[in-house]
Amino acid sequence: MSRIGEIVETMSTGFVAESFELNQPPALGSLILVQSGSIHLYAVVTYGRTAGLDPSRHAVRQGTDMVSDAAIYREHPELEHTLRTEFGAALVGLAVDRVIRQHLPAQPPPLHYSVQTAPADEVRRFTDQLQYLRLLLQTRGEVPSLQVLAANLREVFQQRGEDHDWLDRAAREVATLLKGDHEALLTVLYAIDPGEQTGGARP
Amino acid sequence: MPLKLGHISQQMYGMVQRIADLTPEQEQFIALAQALLRSVDPDALRQKLDAQLSQRRRIPWLVATPRGSLCDSASAPALPSDYRVIGTDASSMPPDRHSSVRYYVLNVGYAAIRYGSLPHATLDSRSQLCFRDEELYLFPERRDVPVEGTLLGARMEVEAVRILREVVPPVAMPTLALRDGPLILWTLQNESTAVQERLLDDLLETLSFLRQARVPVGGYISFSDSHDVTNSLRVWLCQGQLNACDHCDDPQRELCLALAKIHDRELFGFLADGERSELFSSSSQVLQAYGDQQVDFMYLNVGGEIARIEVPRWVGSDAALLGLLHAGTLDQCWRSSGFPPYPPALQEAHEQAAITPTERGLVEEMLARALARRGQRILRSAKDDSKRRRGV
Repeated sequence: MSRIGEIVETMSTGFVAESFELNQPPALGSLILVQSGSIHLYAVVTYGRTAGLDPSRHAVRQGTDMVSDAAIYREHPELEHTLRTEFGAALVGLAVDRVIRQHLPAQPPPLHYSVQTAPADEVRRFTDQLQYLRLLLQTRGEVPSLQVLAANLREVFQQRGEDHDWLDRAAREVATLLKGDHEALLTVLYAIDPGEQTGGARP
Repeated sequence: MPLKLGHISQQMYGMVQRIADLTPEQEQFIALAQALLRSVDPDALRQKLDAQLSQRRRIPWLVATPRGSLCDSASAPALPSDYRVIGTDASSMPPDRHSSVRYYVLNVGYAAIRYGSLPHATLDSRSQLCFRDEELYLFPERRDVPVEGTLLGARMEVEAVRILREVVPPVAMPTLALRDGPLILWTLQNESTAVQERLLDDLLETLSFLRQARVPVGGYISFSDSHDVTNSLRVWLCQGQLNACDHCDDPQRELCLALAKIHDRELFGFLADGERSELFSSSSQVLQAYGDQQVDFMYLNVGGEIARIEVPRWVGSDAALLGLLHAGTLDQCWRSSGFPPYPPALQEAHEQAAITPTERGLVEEMLARALARRGQRILRSAKDDSKRRRGV
């Protein structure tokens, strides 16, 4: 596990964290962890954003004909301190004594606690169950919940070593959850189709 | 709404008309002033100014004595590939006369930015709650001369330079320092020598430190209001008494009075992008308290405006240091995202130094709470109380 950010806003349904790396929030839909005492809280990244550290200072164009992209950051080292990258996450479960439960925790994670990446074995253990997808579908935020859900399925599929069986099982779970909304179901299924090269879930 | 915007709007029409009418005439006078600048013999001007100043005749304006030519300009030398710039700025929460608790807050911000092979930036501030007698009074032993108004402003300016002693690293890398505002603290010119010396002590010590460290420092003044050089041209034109303009019938009178309306930044509008003027020394009385740390100034076309840069004489007389300051200041402006440009190191120093209204309120609240824990409370004047309540 590696620390990737610090919680700067927290609530019962999720939190906002400031990323340690500018322009490098964790991947949309990826599973992340917060350790609060003996409890592991699991969350899914719902958005990433980079903007001025001070909300009253908008980012302005810094590039010139000669300086662009990464070179802008080399020529303006102060940008590392005047910009910040934040990401939001929806809480989807917890583990107490390694027993995983997929519901909202009783307490939001503490402010200023560290956010960590979830290692592959944790991802595998947590996503063996799929009830957390119900919580993900109910998120309301910057990115539509269907896209967050699809991004999560793509991320987990990769982290589980392109586990096609798992993706098929997840797709069926999504089909059950969205059985009353055909268009929404198609939106998710198209977004998680890994393509013909690897096969996988097909709408 | 007590401010009658309708009345203001009507008067504004007349104001705009007046500015529009004067613009062509002003441009014509600027051209004449620039021609005069090119024609005046600097040695003769120096002699005339020296004669006036040494005879203690009162020159009613601040004037500038050219240290070289009047109208020569210089381009910037090449900048080292790796260099560092340190920008500083300061702000304060002044003492509240309407409060029973006397204190003020100083906040000095700085931005130390390294360019080149290992780019890096440090943006930080030093915040200080000043409440002891030695901080509240210039002469604490007799609780005399409170630090407020102009004197607090001067202390702030000094702190913005003094912080350089803490943040200039002992690493041999070309480094220049910029502070947002003047190095010539002219607001102190009407204070007693004792007050000037007490306040300037830290500034002069810091300038000595920077001289030892070979770090050129510049006071960067954007949109300067100065008339020092145009005033010198008025002295040059004047054939009679300097303070008897009402009775003057000299044929040059019209040009002389027009010069009074021309800023130095307009006079030096002929500088090409990146060029600086020659150095000038100021007649500001406060410089008498600077001893061997005299400060001169120059004008620099930073690409969009003519900025005034105040520099210690040891910088101006050392081609390498002056070149580093000139080239580094320009490089800063070229890196600016705004137009007219402004050095990013100063912009970030300002951001670090600024105290927001919310923060001011928080300091007051923190103090009130801390006192309440000791069973004390802050008493306020009836006037202040009524302003806060604003009851109807």
